[in-house]
This record gives sequence, C-alpha cells and structure tokens, in this order.
Amino acid sequence: MIGRPMSYWSAARRVLDLSLGQMLWSRRTIFMALVVGGPVILAIIVRVLEMIGMPALRVNGQRVGGIGVFGVMIWMLFLRFIVPVLGVFYGTALMADEVEDKTLTYLFTRPIAHGAVLLGKYLAYVVCTSLVVLPSVMLVYFLLVQFSDVAATFGQLLTDLGLLGLGLAVYGAVFAFVGAFFKRPLIIGLVFAFGWEQVAMVLPGYMKRFTIAYYLQALVPHAMPTEGVVSILQGLFRDAPSAPTAIAWLATYVAIFLYLATRTVDRREYVLEQ
Amino acid sequence: MSTKTRYFVVAAVAFLAVGLTTGLVASYMGLTVRVFSRAAGPDELQYVPANAAVVAYANVRDVMNSEFRQRFRQMEPDSHARDEFQEKTGINIEQDIESVVAAVMPRAEGSTSWSPEGGMIVVARGTQPFRQAQLEALALEHGGKVEEYKTKRLLTQSNESNPQHAMAVAFLDADLVAVGSYDAVKQAIDTSGGGASVASNTELMKQINEFDNSNAWAVGRFDAIAHEARLPNEIQARVPAIQWFSAAGHINGGVSGIVKAEARDEEAANNLRDVVRGFLGLARMQAGSRPELKAMVDSLQLGGDGKTVSIAFAVPAEVLDVLESMHKQHAAEK
Repeated sequence: MIGRPMSYWSAARRVLDLSLGQMLWSRRTIFMALVVGGPVILAIIVRVLEMIGMPALRVNGQRVGGIGVFGVMIWMLFLRFIVPVLGVFYGTALMADEVEDKTLTYLFTRPIAHGAVLLGKYLAYVVCTSLVVLPSVMLVYFLLVQFSDVAATFGQLLTDLGLLGLGLAVYGAVFAFVGAFFKRPLIIGLVFAFGWEQVAMVLPGYMKRFTIAYYLQALVPHAMPTEGVVSILQGLFRDAPSAPTAIAWLATYVAIFLYLATRTVDRREYVLEQ
Repeated sequence: MSTKTRYFVVAAVAFLAVGLTTGLVASYMGLTVRVFSRAAGPDELQYVPANAAVVAYANVRDVMNSEFRQRFRQMEPDSHARDEFQEKTGINIEQDIESVVAAVMPRAEGSTSWSPEGGMIVVARGTQPFRQAQLEALALEHGGKVEEYKTKRLLTQSNESNPQHAMAVAFLDADLVAVGSYDAVKQAIDTSGGGASVASNTELMKQINEFDNSNAWAVGRFDAIAHEARLPNEIQARVPAIQWFSAAGHINGGVSGIVKAEARDEEAANNLRDVVRGFLGLARMQAGSRPELKAMVDSLQLGGDGKTVSIAFAVPAEVLDVLESMHKQHAAEK
C-alpha cells in the first residue's frame, strides 16, 4: 500500500528531525566545537589576566574594556572567520555528504519532494550551528564584560546574537546552493568566503554589494578594529548600508539561494558512483 | 530526535534563556550585581555622595614608597611644618596614611557662591588606628567642639564670619577619618548609612572603572569645574563642549599616566583633538632643540575615539635623571 505523499513542510520537518541528530554527533561537530571553543578559551585567558591585574589589550596605552575586547572578538573571530567557515563546511555538505555516503537514494525514494530534503537539512544546519555558536558568544560576553556593565551593553549582545544567527542562515543558504549545484562545492565555497568576499570588501566601488559580509558588517554594533591592512583598507572604502536595507538584502539572499538550492535538488539527477 | 540530541538542544536553549533573562533583568532594572564582580574604585567611595562633581584618589603608601618619591625627597622644601603636624596630631603623613579619597561637591541648590572649603571632603585611611583622644584634645585646645552624629564622633570648628565654612573631622572607623566642611562630613556619614553613594552614579563609575593600575586618579564633571573657575566668557565659548574629564597616573620609578576628556558629541571631540594635536606639534617643535625634554614629549600619545580624547604620557627614568642633575646644578649655583 502506498501512503499519501507528505506535504512539503511536514517532509522538511521530518528531515530536520532526522538530520539534526546526525549533524550534532558527526565528526564535523568536533571541528565546530574546536572553532567556537577558541574564543571561549581566549575569553577565559583575558578574564584571568584581568583578575590578576594585567589588562589583556591596550591601545595607545589605554586599557581596552571588556566590551571592547568582546567587540574585537565578534569582528575578528566570529564574523570574519567562524560564521563563514561553518557556512562553507556545513552548507556545502548538506547534499554532498548524502551523495558521498551513497545514502541519498534512501531519502529520494521516500514519497516526499526532493527540495524538502534540502530544506529540512538546511533548517537542521541553522539549528545545529546556532545552538553551538550563540551559547559560545553568550559565554564569551559574560566572561569578558563586567557584570556592572551588562545593563549598558546588553543591547549590543542581542544585536550580535541576531546578526550572527542571520549570518549563519545566509551563508548556509548560499553554500547549500553551491553544494547542490557544483561538483566541487567546498573549494568554491572557500574561494567565495575567503577570496572573493575579502577582495571585494576592500575594493572601492559597488563590488562589495555582491558580498554577504557587506550587509552583515553594517549591522555590527561595535567599532571596526583598525589593526591589519585589510581593516585599514576596509575602513578607507567603507560605506555601510542602513540596518533595514542590510536586513532586507540578507533576507532576500536567504530566500533566493534557498529557492535556487531546492529547485536544483528537485531537478537534478544525482548519479551515485559505484 | 534521539534522547541525546534532545538533551543537547534543551541544554543549549536553557543556557541561552538564562543568559538572556539575566541580561534583560539587568537592563530593565538597572541591576549592579556585585556577586561576581567587585565594584570599581576604593571602598571609601561609599562615603562620597552620588552627586559629587569631582572625585580623586591617591594610594599614599604607593606614592610615598615609590622610587620616584625617594629620588626627589631631597629636593623637597623644609619639613618643619610636617614635623610640627606630626608632633601635634601623632600622624606621620608619609607612613601613617594608606590612601586618600577626596570629593568636591557641586554648589548647593539656591546658593549663589561656592568655595572649596564649603563643599569638599577628604576621606583618609590610616595604616593603623588614628589617635582619637590626642586629636580630640588638640581640637578642644584650639576652640573646637566634640559632638556625636549618628554614633560617629565629630570634631568641629565653627567659622563665625561664614557659618557655611565650618569644618569638621569625623572618626568613621578606627583607621578611617573624614575631613571637610561640616555639612559635607555629615553628608558622608549619611551616605555610608544607606544614602546614594557615588557607586550608584553609573556615568562617573564608568570613568573610574577604566582606571587600571593607577595609584592616583581624578575624575569629574567638566561643566561644574569650568563654572566655578569663572573662566572669561571668550575662553568658555572656545572650550569644546567637554562633559567629563579624568586623569590617572602611575608613580613608581618614573611617572606614566593618561588624561582623558569626554566631549558632548563627536564633532566637539574632533575639535578638541585638533586643538590638542596643534599643541603637541608645538611641543615637539620646542623639544627638538632641547634633548632633555624630547623623550618626554615623544611619549605623548594622542588617542581616543568617538567622544573621547586622551593623551597618554610617560616620564621615563632618563628624564628624571636630567631633572635631578638640573636641580643639583641649580642648587650648586645658589
């Protein structure tokens, strides 16, 4: 007896349920734990140094307060490295892993739309990475920022959590499409995140508008660090869009790339190597 | 979803929820939780009223024991007055005072004039208990009175020509005294007994919180000082709109420190930065022909961003060598 095909959303939810556990307890999560554990360890070191009376960061002889160090970590570690790298590694693997493990057949022989498989896996990625990255950001915040400063800076933490969640969603959607469309998605993903985005952001003109970083960086509530050549060049040619514009463009990116990714999966015929 | 996954999801969500709730409660109720973090500044700030215009602190022991002080001790003027003070009060300022907190209060509401003696308080912590009996006897001998205010002993000295300038000394603890105007000392006792202390002044405490490793500092509202300084209108109009100023220093072998000003807005800060940059350029030009000052002028660093303008400086030991030799030369010429 053949059962009634599931609705698109019910199918996506089932796949999310199934994929979340697989993603959380995979080898890739060890990599993610190492990546997000780095800032936590750094924050512990900074906290210990502060407790023994040695300020960890000084600029022009001035001690940089906890929220300043936190801002630098959000810029340098989370926004410029962790979020894109997780997007690349998880996003490009959403379909590629199933193809490589030759388990795609089991999903595609179910009476569900192929696109729902990708959507469910994408949602599992967003939940999985958000549940690891966001608590780590919160831990770093409470380690670095004095409790007496929480009232004044908590709004910045909320903005950071929101923009990092949005960043994971956008990079995930873009690389889900890359993973579904291209044969060597990881290389293309790395070139996009750490090649194209970095170059376009320091170029004068409108090229930076074709990056995700341009819109994400417009939402950051902390001053951009001025250390390093990249930061100095970015500072020179920086023209940030308004927050509503940036959010609208990021949401558009998610919608467009998720649509393209599910459409690609729906139409593409995957040939599993024997 | 397996049980293991469910536990992870619940734990992560719970962690986020606890953090968000804590932050939200702190934001909306203005909590200053001291369970996990020590409040900035010395404990004596609990005696300084919340509306203090200027607050200053010095770790007297650190400064007195510093190499800098030992080096320049011989250059100090006659110590006769200091010896006389010690003889009468039993207090050796160099050895018996641990730290000092001073506060300048703003002009009282409705008052047309202000004077330092009418609105200033100094809270001094001793390295050992003060000789209360000796000090009381000395006060009585000089026409002072002894009274009690909220269980604290007060030595008072009235001022007949201006009652507002009556002075008082309060024994807050065995090793803690407050000296200042009669009203200010009483206000300090009220403050420590549950009144709003400067620790609840978040703007001022934010400035104090930034001092690190400094054994002397001062912070204050610029408008209160500029107003009382009675600067000519032409000068007041040209001073960029500064809200807060602060200075902090560390004295040991040399002297290093930072002077900061927080302007009302970024434009005012940029104007102030331009003025300071101009002065620094002038100083560097002057120092070019005077090598003994070059190291000090070179150490001046203009910094700060947004509304803050700062100048960090360091007087290295080499500059002190030069100053010392100049003093010796000057003394020999005499």
